[in-house]
Amino acid sequence: MATVPFDRAGRSPRRTATVFTALACTALTLLATSCARGEDEAGGGQTAGGGQARAQELDDAAGSDQTCNIEQFGMEKFDLKDMTVGFSQSEAESNPFRITETASIKSEAEKRGVELITANAQSDFAQQISDVQGLMSQGAELLIVAPLNSDGWEPVLAEAERKQIPIVTIDREINGNPCEDYVTFIGSDFVEQGRRAADRMIEALGGEGEVAILLGTAGNNVTTERTEGFKERIEEKAPGIEVVFEQTGEFTREGGQSVTEQLIQSNPEIDGVYAENDEMGIGAVTALRGAGKQPGDVKIVTVDGTEAAVQGIIDGWIYAVIESNPRFGPLAFDAHESFGKGEDVPVELIISDREYTRDNAEEELSNAY
Amino acid sequence: MTAVDVPAVCGDRERVIGWLQEYGVYVGVAALLVFNIAFTPHFLSVENFRTQAVQVTPVLILSLGMALVIATGGIDLSVGSVMALAAAMISLYLGYGPVAAILVALVAGAAAGAVNGALVAFAGVQAIVATLAMMIGGRGLSLVLLPQLDGIRNAGIRELGAGDLLGVPYLVWVSAALIAVVAFVVRRTVFGRRLVAIGGNRRASELSGLPVRRTLLAVYMLCGLFAAVAGVLATARLQASDPNSIGQLIELSAITAVVVGGTPLQGGRMRVAGTVAGAVLMQLLVSTLIKHDLPPSWTQIAQTAVIIAAVYVARERGRR
Repeated sequence: MATVPFDRAGRSPRRTATVFTALACTALTLLATSCARGEDEAGGGQTAGGGQARAQELDDAAGSDQTCNIEQFGMEKFDLKDMTVGFSQSEAESNPFRITETASIKSEAEKRGVELITANAQSDFAQQISDVQGLMSQGAELLIVAPLNSDGWEPVLAEAERKQIPIVTIDREINGNPCEDYVTFIGSDFVEQGRRAADRMIEALGGEGEVAILLGTAGNNVTTERTEGFKERIEEKAPGIEVVFEQTGEFTREGGQSVTEQLIQSNPEIDGVYAENDEMGIGAVTALRGAGKQPGDVKIVTVDGTEAAVQGIIDGWIYAVIESNPRFGPLAFDAHESFGKGEDVPVELIISDREYTRDNAEEELSNAY
Repeated sequence: MTAVDVPAVCGDRERVIGWLQEYGVYVGVAALLVFNIAFTPHFLSVENFRTQAVQVTPVLILSLGMALVIATGGIDLSVGSVMALAAAMISLYLGYGPVAAILVALVAGAAAGAVNGALVAFAGVQAIVATLAMMIGGRGLSLVLLPQLDGIRNAGIRELGAGDLLGVPYLVWVSAALIAVVAFVVRRTVFGRRLVAIGGNRRASELSGLPVRRTLLAVYMLCGLFAAVAGVLATARLQASDPNSIGQLIELSAITAVVVGGTPLQGGRMRVAGTVAGAVLMQLLVSTLIKHDLPPSWTQIAQTAVIIAAVYVARERGRR
């Protein structure tokens, strides 16, 4: 057809489409911005992140004895204050952990007066590789990377080596040679978190009972390590506890809720639930409440330390929360600073994570994120 | 199967295939029910059926809207993002009360559907491209509006998600009502005839004077509206607005339910009961594997097997 057909009013369909799409988009935007009023506007909103809340502390016993200094690395000394720092975040800042992590890096940079450029890969690994390359070409002289995966960093590492850019990785490791490919790794010991969760579970159940595990996303080292530590400790210390159920809740609240609903149907006498993050644990609470259980009927132990989960302890639904502290800002900048001065920096810095229980939940609530 | 189902004569193979197309999904549901009754502890309880019915609700509602779109020969990839948009609206507008917030969420869903519909019907953009754009843009917009999960304490919304009427959860009432509406629309109204006619042969429908564009626009708006309903219900059930993870990849579950239910992807036909059974089948499949504590990778493999079986049966008809 050579000509565009016109309707009775003489408008072309294409124009109608433009007008209609424009109208609908405007309506969407108006809805989005005009007169929104949330549930608790007066409540002051949430205070995520920031360096004010409890900072990370290092676990001196853990970590590596191997150290790295600037001479071994093969570059000139520098003063952190004159440098531009690039920060690459792996996942969207939509969960409390990532929000707090990014906020902590940003506020620490501000506090020290260091120029910071940031990028977020939105859980896309290829995107993170090009993000980091982008940061380097934008003039980042030091890098802080929260890697999405541990493998596949060769192109970035080669470029960083050529440009003499030291990298500090936080919360997950990059596979490579320390003091050659990167300076240091700062993070929690996820296996240890699993073991400590197991200790709390053993305590809660008195060493006897049936336990379910809500796994995180499959193929993620956080999931594997938190599972490994938990099972190892249960086997070693409490043979009376049996892990009868292991299903993934994908680290989301919805996933935790759906799986727990199925669980309490098929195993109504379940005694404990180990959720590998707080969101799934809160989902489990919603499911248990929906099934008419009372707080404490099923003992829940989770890992992270978000405000909502610690509130769950106060309400009696959650037995214990093992902390995984995301406030990496101070330690990451400290590492770069002392590295720049020529001091020896350990190539692995392990954070000592705390835990929240009924004894300290109320007073520590403000430290949760 | 018995000799009654599979007659020995080779020429009857077509009849078997035809029968499977018509009733295969119900056979699947029945088989899973029998298996579970025999092997799953505590399966035959009211509580269990309640759990399954509540969990299937969002996918079921989405697949009804999706079936309408697919019957016209289109597809809507944006339903998961529209759910997220609805969830964000609930959180943003809850200050005006639950009813107002739900209305705003539904309007947003219909508006998103209208954008899809306008692009497909008037601008002639292919459905898969237009709705892919909305899938990405809608998720983005909802994350701009509500960057992180927001817990909902409003009693009305929580009651909608967890409460019941005459022992049946509100969620199940809503999906039952929507099934009835869609069944009525498809079987008894001119609009229903038109959308199937457009899917069968768009050119012929245009030439015979059907309001093709208007019908398509309405179908996509309905699909958006249904997605918003699913988003509202999922949010109420979760007791939190979570635009980041709500409805991730759910469009694929909805399409699967429609295809497994016997609605052909090329359009021209729409099966309401089959779609419902398709959604129930996938829910039962996942729940069976979870209850028997099999690894999640098995769930994916089992779903794949069901999809291939369904498409294989559909292919036979194409050859006939």
